[in-house]
Amino acid sequence: MAQKILPDENKVQRHGFRGRFTHWTVALSTLALIVSGFGQMPMYKRYYIADLPGLGWTADYSTTLIVHYLAAMVLLFAVTFHLVFHVIRKDYDLIPKRGDFRTSYLIIKAMVTEQEAPPSGKYLAEQRLAYAFLAFSFLIVGLTGLLKVLKNLPSVNFSAQAMVWISDLHTLSAFLLVFGIVAHLAAFLFRENRPLLPAMFTGKVNLNYVKHRHRLWYARLSGKGSAVSLQEAPAQVPEENIRVS
Amino acid sequence: MSKMSRRDFLKRSVVAGGVVMSGAGKLAFAADGSPVGTFYDLTKCDGCRDLPVPACVTACREENQQKFPRPADQIELYWPRNIKEDWSDKKELTTRLTPYNWTFVQTVSVEHNGQTVQVSMPRRCMHCDNPPCATLCPFGAQNKMPEGPVLINKELCLGGAKCRDVCPWGIPARQAGVGLYMKIAPKYLGAGVMYKCDLCYDRIRSGGAPACVEACPKRAIQFGETKAMLEAAQARNSAINGYIYGDKENGGTSTFYVSPVPFERINEKLQEQKSRQENPKAPGFPGTPVEVGNILDTANGTVAGLVIAPLAGAFAAGYAAYKTMKGGE
Repeated sequence: MAQKILPDENKVQRHGFRGRFTHWTVALSTLALIVSGFGQMPMYKRYYIADLPGLGWTADYSTTLIVHYLAAMVLLFAVTFHLVFHVIRKDYDLIPKRGDFRTSYLIIKAMVTEQEAPPSGKYLAEQRLAYAFLAFSFLIVGLTGLLKVLKNLPSVNFSAQAMVWISDLHTLSAFLLVFGIVAHLAAFLFRENRPLLPAMFTGKVNLNYVKHRHRLWYARLSGKGSAVSLQEAPAQVPEENIRVS
Repeated sequence: MSKMSRRDFLKRSVVAGGVVMSGAGKLAFAADGSPVGTFYDLTKCDGCRDLPVPACVTACREENQQKFPRPADQIELYWPRNIKEDWSDKKELTTRLTPYNWTFVQTVSVEHNGQTVQVSMPRRCMHCDNPPCATLCPFGAQNKMPEGPVLINKELCLGGAKCRDVCPWGIPARQAGVGLYMKIAPKYLGAGVMYKCDLCYDRIRSGGAPACVEACPKRAIQFGETKAMLEAAQARNSAINGYIYGDKENGGTSTFYVSPVPFERINEKLQEQKSRQENPKAPGFPGTPVEVGNILDTANGTVAGLVIAPLAGAFAAGYAAYKTMKGGE
């Protein structure tokens, strides 16, 4: 877990096993939830998706419903693990900060115009905003999902109006989530963001990339310089130094 | 104090937790009012042998005329398929369930105890206790009302027919070219509106009985509080040493049939009849599968996992955080 500079490898340990495990557990269970969730609407059969090899089960509501429930259990485990772990450790690096909208704009502008980006901490401002957006979608889709689970129990009935609200909010927030995930993945269309990708697999990122783009984080890890002075005087790092080998 | 099973306790805990979490206590109510149901005594029903159309069917059609679909003249096929479900040229059909015919009578001859017994069985929506059609509608377009009937909201229904697929009897019938989907992208999304018996909801709300009940010349259909109907069915069942249907099926319904012959035999005959039809796969001709389960049983059986998973996640996180903090990370 420990974030630290690994000078021998010319890398920085960004995520530990727990972080990567949580990320991929959330990702895979969410994928299963999206696939099985769309299966709750009568679309896989009509649009011939169920006719594709190995996908016959997608048209069977009893199967997709069980997949949806099982994946929801996995997601609930991972999400509560993530929340409780970070709250206990008071690790709020991913919570948006004041000015993140403006900073995100500047970072994206820097990527487009190929200019120097403002210094960042462990996470870029737009990563914190994306996290908040996904967390909000997860909250709504999760709460309405749990209400739908309740409603499925034989002893529970909701009013007609509540059913419409719960169902439509669940569907709508699921679409928000899909949009959020697409945007999250679209970040890697920008070359500048790609050095972050190995961190989700090996946990490590290139040291020069960190020095260049995550200067505030680097300062914290190395104990050199204050965030304020770094913000005021961004270091000039030659372009070739930020390439990942 | 009555004994509460672990499953019941869990169920109630989840319900209580959910209501607190959602703050939607006002919206939820347990379906334990005094809902209404029906009891069909098949020893009395003869399918109105002397009439061209059974009286209950005629009464239902007259009563619900105004609620039947009025589809557009031009109905698109369900892209990318070359099909559409259009019953508008079969409005007069009274021998199966269609969007224009919400009840019909099946008649079978069954060998039982060395005798041939003819059984006529009026069919329509069973108005289940935990109807998967309503529970699983992705758009919330179908509901179990406190009074007992299961209703389809025709303003909201998109005609995906999931309700028909999850109904053990395949009751709801689809008509293309009508409803909300016509205002969106009728060629590509949606397929019409689902129609079925609403137990003459307007009549029972004002204290009346469904039209079919009033029309039956043999008084073979009884209507009243579901509990009383079940008791009446059970009493009749004991009296004739017969068979009862609808009390256990799909987790319980509010429609009870009592027959002098086993429903397994009736089902066999119905399947035979269906296989001889012009299109054996066509919907609207239900069987009588005995003790058929509810599609939600398996999912509901896993609910404990949805309670345990977050608890396990929180516990594991607490342990992991303690370990890392102790290790000075």
